[in-house]
Amino acid sequence: MKGRAKIKVWGAMSAAMLCIGLLGNQVLAADCTTKIGVALPTSVDWGRPIAATTQFAVDLVNEAGGVSGCNIEVVLRDTQNDPKVGVDAARSLVDLEKVKLLLGAVSSGVSMPILTSVTVPSNVMQMSCCSSSTAFTKLSEEGKTKGLWFRTFATSEVQANAATILIKEQGFKNVAIFYKNDDWGQDMGRLVADNLKKLGVNVTTSIAINDGQASYQAEVAKGISGKPDAIYLALYPKEGISIVRNWISLGGTQEMVVANSLKSDEFRDKVGFKYLAAAIGTDTSSPRVDSATAFIDIYKERFDSEPNGPGLSNAFDATMIALLAMQAAGKDADGPAIAKEVSRVTDPQGTPITADTAGFKKAITILHDGGSVMYQGATGNVQFDKNGDVFAPAVAWVFTESGIKEERYVSLEEIKSFMDSIN
Amino acid sequence: MIQGLLDGVLVGSVLSLGAIGLTMVMHTLRFANFSHAELLSIGAYVALVSDAVFSAVLQPLQNIISPFSMTWALALSIPVSLIITGLTAVAIDRFIFKRIRDNGEELSMVFASFGVALIIRNLIGLVFGLKTQLYSDDIVMAIILSTDPLLLIKPDQLLVLGITCIIMVLLHLVLTHTTFGYSLRAVAENPSLAQVVGVNLSKMVTMTWVIGGGLAAAAGILYGLNNQISPIIGKNLVLPIFAATIVGGIGSIYGAVLGGFIVGIASSFALLVLPSGYSPSVPFLIIICVLFLRPNGLFGEARV
Repeated sequence: MKGRAKIKVWGAMSAAMLCIGLLGNQVLAADCTTKIGVALPTSVDWGRPIAATTQFAVDLVNEAGGVSGCNIEVVLRDTQNDPKVGVDAARSLVDLEKVKLLLGAVSSGVSMPILTSVTVPSNVMQMSCCSSSTAFTKLSEEGKTKGLWFRTFATSEVQANAATILIKEQGFKNVAIFYKNDDWGQDMGRLVADNLKKLGVNVTTSIAINDGQASYQAEVAKGISGKPDAIYLALYPKEGISIVRNWISLGGTQEMVVANSLKSDEFRDKVGFKYLAAAIGTDTSSPRVDSATAFIDIYKERFDSEPNGPGLSNAFDATMIALLAMQAAGKDADGPAIAKEVSRVTDPQGTPITADTAGFKKAITILHDGGSVMYQGATGNVQFDKNGDVFAPAVAWVFTESGIKEERYVSLEEIKSFMDSIN
Repeated sequence: MIQGLLDGVLVGSVLSLGAIGLTMVMHTLRFANFSHAELLSIGAYVALVSDAVFSAVLQPLQNIISPFSMTWALALSIPVSLIITGLTAVAIDRFIFKRIRDNGEELSMVFASFGVALIIRNLIGLVFGLKTQLYSDDIVMAIILSTDPLLLIKPDQLLVLGITCIIMVLLHLVLTHTTFGYSLRAVAENPSLAQVVGVNLSKMVTMTWVIGGGLAAAAGILYGLNNQISPIIGKNLVLPIFAATIVGGIGSIYGAVLGGFIVGIASSFALLVLPSGYSPSVPFLIIICVLFLRPNGLFGEARV
């Protein structure tokens, strides 16, 4: 009996060793790993695809041999889209996992406290896919981000301007505004209201909407009482559904201009398409370039669906650019060193590289020789200004019976000339 | 102003139903049950499932009871949900709270209730998903009562108010005209003394949970009818319901009813005075004001 048990143990051990040996052969760059921190609202339904896209970008980079020969390991933490949870998540990533690069968060209201209380004090570079508040620009201008902050999502200003252009085109005279009561929503509400006032459009009421209120009936009734001929909504789907259903049942106008946050099937299905036929939305857009289509193709290959959710292409680019910068900064670089290299991988004069494994491989060689590259990604040739901001064109979209379709493309030039015309 | 009153009454009736159950449990079992609002979610989801089952089994039940957005299937689901939620409340007590009551102290119960709330909320999220659900996709248009000042009311609001009133009157009759009602009140008043005169304590505790759970289920369904159903209903409503209970005075059923309406109406009126972002603070302002003037709530009595 004893002898047989011994044989079994030996058998198991040699099998295990064989496995380890095989694994070692399979993963070429497995001799070292570099951790990067990712803080995203994975417990929120629209947060999960963003995390999956981030992982997708990392996988492509690992296929190219990783960064500085090391495999990139994503340490993902859930922010629950809550500032307190987000800061805790970031803290554990920076203090315990010792990451030098943090990707996230989504909401400006979460990214901001992470930036000011975790990443900047710890000299960690932070890049967000989706935060659009103009508060970051202000913070950077005051020198408080130490150049560690980047985002691949255009500031709220682009969307607010696109919304104003649409409202102006449709000739609305009285507009009520509902905005989410957080950094992003306040930004959007204020920017659109200011723009409209400059154009001479009357803003009947501007109402802040808190998450998770027992009822929004009173807010909606207040909006109705101003008798607007259109409403502007900068809300998330959950509150948006509640507000719009109430609004319509109280006989409010169905003329709506909505922000990209409501570009969701859930919103269309729960409110009902028949009430949203007149609604028009805004979103920032990828410039019409080949690299954006290329991203859609590789995304479809991986996930079997189009990258339709909010922030997916931006999350992909944020991850790619951050990893390119990490590659450029060399092994064991700290946050500021990585942040300094961002301009070298998004250099308009650099060698164009594609957003895939081949592109990353090519970049490794060029960067190694001291050259610079121009990353061409899902949102085009991304270029950051001195505040880590990007500008982007916009699109107007409408709901259709079965989905969401683009109505028109608002080019960067159009947005910029509109900005000049009202200022 | 009047519109605000109408809207406030609607929210108030949901809060009142929730607060009645909470105040009964808090008074009888002497602990602040933070998981009570989750019973509203359970009620709303049980009705959602039962609604789907009834509609599938009997097609004619899918017809809407005009002019409301409620279908016959949903109407039938209300009693089903009341009973199942009431029994769930009893089960939660049996398996969790009773054990802690026997071995632990009041504070352990409060912490346990936090845990129970989290478990229920996440279980619902796991089973039904985090997405918003609705009993009916149709939007029923409001009736215009007057155009100047603009006064609108939704038929569903009248329905909610009507159902709330019926439930409250029934509860009042039971409590004041039946031996069972007397026993229930006696236990709430003084459990030891009630046992001395022959009231079965454990049976009354069970009934408190059944009634509390049933009322919470009604509140959850009525809330879902006018708003939407999601796993976070409980999280959103727990604080206003506590506010209603505290304002009314712990242990007072009539206080809870009044407290619910006060909190609902005040939140609705708050928009007239405060900037719109501040309305969630109103229930707490009311608690502070009421406790300042009457430390035991409007109808509460000091406990010896």
